[in-house]
Amino acid sequence: MKRPHLLRSAASAGRFLRRDKKALIGSIILFVLLVIAAFPSWFTPDDPAAEVYNPGAGLSWAHPLGTTSFGQDVFSQVMAGTRQSVMIALVVGFLCTILSVAVGVTAAYAGGLIDDTLSLVTDVILVIPTFPLIIVIAAYTKSASFWTIVFVLVVTGWSYGARQLRVQALSLRNRDYLLAARARGESSWYIISVELIPPMTSLIVANFLGAALYAVLAAAGLQFVGLGNVNTESWGTMLYWAQNNEALSAGLPLWALAPGIMIAILGSALALLNYAFDEVSNPALRPVAGRRRRKAVA
Amino acid sequence: MKKFKVGLATSALALVASTITVVGPSVVGVAVASAAPTTQAPLNLANEQGSLWSCAFNPFVPASLPYSFGLTYESLDFVNALQSAKTSPWLASSYAWSNANKTLSFTVRSGVKWSDGVPFSAADVLYTFDLLKKYPSLDLNAVWSVLSSVSSAGNKVTFNFKSAAVPYFYYIADQVPIVPQHLWSKIANPVTATIPNPVGTGGYIMSKCSGQNIQWKSNPNYWQKGMAQIKTVNMPAFLSNNTCNEYLASGQSQWGSQFIPNIQSYYVAKKAGNTYWFPPVANVSLFPNLTVPGLNDAKVRQAISYAINRSLISKIGEYGYEPPASQTGIVSPTFSSWTSPSASAGLSSTANTAKAAALLASDGYKLVNGVYTKGSTKLAFTLTTNGGYSDWIASMQVVSQELTKFGIKITLLTPAQATFYSNLFAGKYQLAYDAETGGPTPFYELRQMLFSGNSAPIGTAASSNWERYSNPATDALLAQYGTTTSAATQKSIVAKLENVMVTQAPVIPVLEEVDWFQYNATTINNFPTSTNPYAQPGLYNQPDWGYVLDKLAPKA
Amino acid sequence: MRFLVRRVGFLLVTLWAALTVNFFIPRLMPGNPAEAILAQFHGRLNPSALKAIEVALGIGGHQNLFTSYVDYLRNTLTGNFGISFSQGNVSVASLISRALPWSLGLVGISTIIGFVFGTVIGAVVAWRRGGTMDNVLPPTFIIVSAFPYFWVGLLSIWLFSLTLNWFPTLGGYTATSTLSWSWSSFTDILSHAVLPAFTIVITSVGGWILTMRNNMITVVAEDYVKMARAKGLTPRRILWQYAGRNALLPNLTGFAMSLGFVISGAILVEYVFNYPGVGFLLLQAVNNEDYPLMQALFFLIAVVVIVAIFISDIATALLDPRTRNNR
Repeated sequence: MKRPHLLRSAASAGRFLRRDKKALIGSIILFVLLVIAAFPSWFTPDDPAAEVYNPGAGLSWAHPLGTTSFGQDVFSQVMAGTRQSVMIALVVGFLCTILSVAVGVTAAYAGGLIDDTLSLVTDVILVIPTFPLIIVIAAYTKSASFWTIVFVLVVTGWSYGARQLRVQALSLRNRDYLLAARARGESSWYIISVELIPPMTSLIVANFLGAALYAVLAAAGLQFVGLGNVNTESWGTMLYWAQNNEALSAGLPLWALAPGIMIAILGSALALLNYAFDEVSNPALRPVAGRRRRKAVA
Repeated sequence: MKKFKVGLATSALALVASTITVVGPSVVGVAVASAAPTTQAPLNLANEQGSLWSCAFNPFVPASLPYSFGLTYESLDFVNALQSAKTSPWLASSYAWSNANKTLSFTVRSGVKWSDGVPFSAADVLYTFDLLKKYPSLDLNAVWSVLSSVSSAGNKVTFNFKSAAVPYFYYIADQVPIVPQHLWSKIANPVTATIPNPVGTGGYIMSKCSGQNIQWKSNPNYWQKGMAQIKTVNMPAFLSNNTCNEYLASGQSQWGSQFIPNIQSYYVAKKAGNTYWFPPVANVSLFPNLTVPGLNDAKVRQAISYAINRSLISKIGEYGYEPPASQTGIVSPTFSSWTSPSASAGLSSTANTAKAAALLASDGYKLVNGVYTKGSTKLAFTLTTNGGYSDWIASMQVVSQELTKFGIKITLLTPAQATFYSNLFAGKYQLAYDAETGGPTPFYELRQMLFSGNSAPIGTAASSNWERYSNPATDALLAQYGTTTSAATQKSIVAKLENVMVTQAPVIPVLEEVDWFQYNATTINNFPTSTNPYAQPGLYNQPDWGYVLDKLAPKA
Repeated sequence: MRFLVRRVGFLLVTLWAALTVNFFIPRLMPGNPAEAILAQFHGRLNPSALKAIEVALGIGGHQNLFTSYVDYLRNTLTGNFGISFSQGNVSVASLISRALPWSLGLVGISTIIGFVFGTVIGAVVAWRRGGTMDNVLPPTFIIVSAFPYFWVGLLSIWLFSLTLNWFPTLGGYTATSTLSWSWSSFTDILSHAVLPAFTIVITSVGGWILTMRNNMITVVAEDYVKMARAKGLTPRRILWQYAGRNALLPNLTGFAMSLGFVISGAILVEYVFNYPGVGFLLLQAVNNEDYPLMQALFFLIAVVVIVAIFISDIATALLDPRTRNNR
């Protein structure tokens, strides 16, 4: 059996992305949001924090999404909030993935007692409901800063990926080419990093995206209930202020709905890409070309 | 077989997860038989407290007294905080000061009965005050700190003071609920007693209480004939502001004490007759910690006062509901008659950054990197506000932005409520935003702010005067006010205190705290209004709201 | 049998882990905020309630860690959670028992509805691979399941309640009504439950559709399905009685896993709708810094999830012998 090569998997993944509409849409959305997050000033016509406009104004050319009760421009706020949410997604996704890979692969490769212990820890963390745990921790640390939220999300979010990666690593562990490498006398590090991990790339990427999605939703939830830092600009904080000023009932629905739409958009992009990478790992899931319909299905 | 197993498994899950049980009502209390069946619609109140009711009605316990004091229990006289302490007789028909204002005697009304039929007398008044002496934790207003003795003879009750303390009239006559001796003398521990079935002289008797709703019925034998015309009153429990506001706006409630954002579109527009009135009663102020370098300089404090735009803060932070305050500390229009023209000269509700800059310049401060500095003192402070009040956070965000732009760098902190208060009382802050309790004349709030005896060293909790202000001349003025009943003398002393506020700026009033009051007068008459402010209208003002309830009547 | 022992063992280990995490969090937090709170309420609590709270939150400092831990375990297992000082000094246990039925009702029913719908739709969609439904539904539901629960709730309130006026806006019941075992109370509760349930169902159903679809696709490729088709069984029969049933089993394990997510999402849904359940109580406790209530709620939620997962694991094992050897 041919050794799966890192470049070959990457190339096939790349080709697949171009063909798969879901992945394409997801990538485009993500790219746009990354640009907004990197250069928010290009997209904010007004200073998002400035409370100088007419409070509670409806839609207009000057304020395409209206203003808040404090007289801030909703559109500028929404654009400015992109940075925090995108950053949380990327940072937490990245850290979670590192942790998942480390634990999952080690458990699968080492086997025995190490595997049993790591698996137990993974499963226990998996089972304990994380959002209430996050709430309790955030409540104690009060007005949680960016890094506190990152810490809490990473500690609670890595276990799902670790479990998935372990399963796949286990199935790869006993393949011929790995046994050959071991027989050749290669060191464990070499085997893990060059032979074991590359074929799992698409699953790792899928995990990264999954963790990023989890981070966006959980961080937004925390900020929404007021456990983040309410003085910063982010989508979740906007929702907090809108909720506290009963924006929906008070006739300012866009203030509450717009940041939510943005979270939904970022989340959808991540979810679409996640699903596309899942399909790369599991060919059976790939969409069937339209013409080949099974006639037997009535 | 598999089908069965699937069914078994699913129903096992279903059993675990799907119990629709209804929270059983815990009905506590006795349903009092009313005199005649009524077809009058009940009055529903909108007062959100964030939890279900615990059905306790002890009028000496802060958590339960709002639900009995004023409606069921009454006091000797009613003192109106909105009309500079105008006093009306209640359980006492008259009173008099004597002995250089060190003796106060009341003539107690006759013909009053407790709701269980036993006649009321001066002995009950004496008993109540003796109870406060015996159990100091019931003496919420610390009346025994100034009283030396209380005695009664016939229908008179006489209070003797250690030294003249005229302002305590408010606490003694208006703020102490009179309780029945024949029932309370049998209670083992009045401090922990919950009093689930309160017996009082008042116009309303608690008839039904569950966690979700308290219901009162009017007292058929009430001593004030023609009052307490509304037969049934409901106060449902609300867990959050939103639910309560929706209830109020939809017209299901006719009297609310809520903070409603965008009140025009949220409340007023939703039903014909929905109106609101927010009478200002006290100041919400910046309390500078006078031990902090920079803030111990009166000119810096004055500059802060001139540099903020109170109108803008009111508009952005409070939707304009809370009017701008005055550095004199006098709340207007409620106490406008007390304003001293000389003290308030040159003050405005918008910012005067030029004057503020001039003050700092004359004091030797210069702008260095955008922050005023003098030698080693940099004007950069933290500003703490209660994290539980989002409108205060919004107001302080405006203040921070304005002051930072002016040249005094402000960092805003929003700790949660309990931490906020413990730091405030202990003096562990630099600038803090909070309000004193106030009272029926400006003196009460000024004394709370300025009397050195209220304060405490940094690290020890102070009940008020959190800024740690101490000035013997001011203390003397405050003491002098306490000895007189002459309105003219009182006004002149307050005018001098206003001068202290403006020249020394120990506290910087920003906005005026208001009583939240929404009402719909389509079916009910006699709500207090701005033209007839006969009592404070908030459902959390005691004994005022009971006093108001007695006066309400259905429209014919 | 051995499987059962392992599962029970795992259950106990996770419960113990949840307890221990709950014990250590307040003690690890910098500044010990719990102390400041308790100091304020010192005079108003009776000594045994005070002691229970001290043990739960790790204040007082006069006990060594091990004794505290033992006391804490004992208190928790006997349901002595202390007093909630933000809610009128009532016992935490009574507050929780008042709120719990609301959550069990809402979350339980919504989860089951979502699971049933999701599984059925997922099976049908997978059966008709390459059809329009298969091309449209999965991506749609991927997107919908990425929406935050609370935002879908806000949207439903704005659309169905404030704008269209079809349902009441907030709460679990009408404020002035006294709840009783009557038809009017039942309809009142039902009308208040529709929108929150709708929110939970619509956000979670996508996950189940996709899982079921993926499982079905794998199963449909199996030989015995081809055999059934060759034998001439009707497609409907194959779909439900052969393929569907076998695809369902892995889905059940997924159901348990996702229960944790549903409950987490439900906390925010309760908050948005002010639904008087356990999640709303938790967030109120957080806002009031009511630590005893918070700790007790976290533990309770953890127990519910852990036990539910355990039960569904056992159920899956009963139905599918293959899973018993998987660990």
